[in-house]
Amino acid sequence: MLSVRVVSPEKIVFEGDASSLVAPAWDGLVGVLPRHAPMLALLGVGQLNIDLPGGGSEAFHVAMGVLKVENDEVTVLTEYAGSAPPPPDVYDAHPEDDIVASPGNPLV
Amino acid sequence: MAGARDVKRRIKTVDNTRQITRTMELVATSKLKRATDRVYAARPYSEALAEIVASLYAPGLSEKYPLLRQPEKVRRAAVLLLTANRGLAGAFNANLIKEARALLGELRSQGIETELHVSGRKGIAFFRFRGEEMKTMRMDMSDAPSAEEAASLVDGLTDRFEKGELDAVYVVSSHFKSAMSTPPGHRRLLPIEPSEGSSDADNFILSPSGDVILERMLPLYVRNAVYTSLVENAAAEQGARRTAMKNATDNAGDMLETLTRSYNRARQGQITQEIAEIVGGAAALE
Repeated sequence: MLSVRVVSPEKIVFEGDASSLVAPAWDGLVGVLPRHAPMLALLGVGQLNIDLPGGGSEAFHVAMGVLKVENDEVTVLTEYAGSAPPPPDVYDAHPEDDIVASPGNPLV
Repeated sequence: MAGARDVKRRIKTVDNTRQITRTMELVATSKLKRATDRVYAARPYSEALAEIVASLYAPGLSEKYPLLRQPEKVRRAAVLLLTANRGLAGAFNANLIKEARALLGELRSQGIETELHVSGRKGIAFFRFRGEEMKTMRMDMSDAPSAEEAASLVDGLTDRFEKGELDAVYVVSSHFKSAMSTPPGHRRLLPIEPSEGSSDADNFILSPSGDVILERMLPLYVRNAVYTSLVENAAAEQGARRTAMKNATDNAGDMLETLTRSYNRARQGQITQEIAEIVGGAAALE
């Protein structure tokens, strides 16, 4: 079981247990199941899906921020979280282009 | 002594004013409640963000990231002053303006070139009257500031800091300690000085890498600092307005009491005089 917190600058958008979640990381979707290794991943723009333990799911549009997984505690920090897609101009929809080219990237 | 009718007119005026100030007090109270909720709701994000930045930050990274760059000599600094768009909030705006002028004076005395950015009609009106140059003027911050508004306020400054056009950026706003205590103050936004965390990021899978995550988090950190300032400032404004309007209502009550007393005295005097006149007239007839 995961305990998930989705936090935007304005408020805590979601707080509760989940059986799994899929988040839009900077380079594509990333799934998190219970007993995931500790992870810190940069988020892009896209949809965050949280599967609830009793069945059913919650979905949010998120944009930018970071996903942190540690001891089955998942924190999604995001600049934007809402049921509608974020305003297109405010957030960089394709951070991967810069990131691949950036000097800190170990893949380069 | 003023005639009873004049006093009565004044009582009416003061009573009307008291009704208005009492309404404003009630409005401010309910707005304060919502603004305070926003202040508290904003804290989890700030805390979590600060924690992540601290865990990725290590001293010695300062040279690598423009936003952490600690200039050896500060040549040019920007001051971002947050004031309210509306008055009738006691000394709220005046205190912020005073704080900003003190900060500007201090920076200038160190030989630093300064530039002023003002948000809020009241601050703009003051500096325009003084004839001081303002680099940007914003009047579009709402009572319920959003993260986007904060971003639009500070992103320009962040860019210019990165390019090296600015060596420091300060923000002047009210700290919201409680509804009663909202002292004005300033803090430095840039360069960022993250609190040193236990570098526990080593055990994490980092995607894409610690450096890139930190690089992307730093602008968000600055935005969030401004967002927090905006939200706290909005709450402080409502708190100040509530206090000011409560005082005004109380004062109007005191005034009404004295006025009612002098009205009664005047009325009594008039009656006494009339009786004296009637008695005098009757005595003259005898």
